[in-house]
Amino acid sequence: MDFDTRVKLAVYRHFAGTGQAPQLADIADELKGTRDDTRAAYARLRANRVLLLEPDGEVIRMAPPFSGVPTPHRVEAGGQTYWANCAWDALGIPAALRQVGVVHSSCGQSRTPLRLRVGLEGPEPSDWLFHCQVPAARWWVDLVFT
Amino acid sequence: MLFFRSEDLIVEWCRDRGIAPRPLVNMPQLWELAVTWYADRLTLDARRPGPAEMRRIFARIGLEGPFWDPEADVFA
Repeated sequence: MDFDTRVKLAVYRHFAGTGQAPQLADIADELKGTRDDTRAAYARLRANRVLLLEPDGEVIRMAPPFSGVPTPHRVEAGGQTYWANCAWDALGIPAALRQVGVVHSSCGQSRTPLRLRVGLEGPEPSDWLFHCQVPAARWWVDLVFT
Repeated sequence: MLFFRSEDLIVEWCRDRGIAPRPLVNMPQLWELAVTWYADRLTLDARRPGPAEMRRIFARIGLEGPFWDPEADVFA
């Protein structure tokens, strides 16, 4: 397995286990690599649209569907709290974990709270809708805005 | 990418921002997107779908047209 794949898996497994973004030094130590090697792997993973990094190149803002910072989309699963980048990713977290979860979010306009139970086969019946303002061709132009 | 309680509220939200409403996606469609994008994300074989695959995925669940085309330039 190449180093970038090992880094990617380590990052994702950290998010899955803790709900938080890992520290670069922790990933480097776990993989017995250097910080420079790990930072370079982060940059390649960003170029391949796997990670979204803060400007310092070390802090992970997004490893979709996981967010490294709190957002309006919270997911509870397996006794752990996770933050999703958007409504799509809020369902993506139970899908990625392959666990039952509960999505806590709200209506983008009315702020009505949403509590949506998501089972292994999908969300409970719901007439809520999803709306994406940004067309698919521009999602990664500014992923935080998207 | 937000949740909305109703189509009327999406229209309101778009009007407040001076933008056209985009295609609506229901919860079963969103679940299909979530599973397709993320179900293997924690595995060794995880990969993002390419443009042609994205078009097929969207079309399979009824999301078609340039808005969902990852290579369309009509919104640039």
